[in-house]
Amino acid sequence: MENDKKLNELLLSWENTYKKGQLTLWIFMALQESKKYVDEIKNFIEKKSDGTISCEEQSLYRALRKYEHIDVLTYDLKEGNKGPDRKYYYLTNLGQELFNQFVNRNIKLFYSTEIKNILKLNEQ
Amino acid sequence: MKTITPYLLKFTLTATVLTIIFRYFLSYGIENQFGIIITISAVTYGLLMFASGWYFGRKDGEYLPIYDVGFRFHLTTYLIHNGISLLWIGLGFGSKYENLNVSIMVAIYWGIFLLIHFVFFLWARKNSINNLDKEDIFE
Repeated sequence: MENDKKLNELLLSWENTYKKGQLTLWIFMALQESKKYVDEIKNFIEKKSDGTISCEEQSLYRALRKYEHIDVLTYDLKEGNKGPDRKYYYLTNLGQELFNQFVNRNIKLFYSTEIKNILKLNEQ
Repeated sequence: MKTITPYLLKFTLTATVLTIIFRYFLSYGIENQFGIIITISAVTYGLLMFASGWYFGRKDGEYLPIYDVGFRFHLTTYLIHNGISLLWIGLGFGSKYENLNVSIMVAIYWGIFLLIHFVFFLWARKNSINNLDKEDIFE
């Protein structure tokens, strides 16, 4: 019982640290799939991460503004159901190249047989 | 330009209004030799400018963390304060005791400090991409 509590606390602590820095990857993955507006990006992240990554709209808007500022994404304006036009974000060529290189250098290594064996992913 | 953000524009508007009000009371105080009005208007102007710079600067950082070590707000303040002061006296709104040369000297001396600030801004740009701090781009 005591060990379970400690394990849970350690897991939460590790996850909190691990999740920092994940938002960019999830936003890029959402936009890799298709053009999306803010609510769709938010829903994609929460659904595809099984709720482990939650993002507040303010953080999302701030991140999108920054990525737009450094030219890795841009948007098309399209009419929404009501209210002002929606910004449908998508990756620019620079953003696409950045995403590809990031995945090659940091994500693909998890899919080598050696690492998969260490992670015991093949047994599951 | 991408570095002209909504909060910088709001600060510009606030600074313009505050400077015009300040100039009015300063000239009124000088014209009528009211030391108390000159002192109160200068102190109030200084405090309100500082407060608005603090408020809009913080909001601006939350909106888009542009890494300029405060240079955009300093440059804006410089242009507005000195622009309005020179126009105020140049167009004859100042008191008869005010001299255009004093305002020109203020702009020159302040300009030297602005230039030093600009050097720090150029130095800070080395650590930025499109004016955003490299350490603060990705989340």
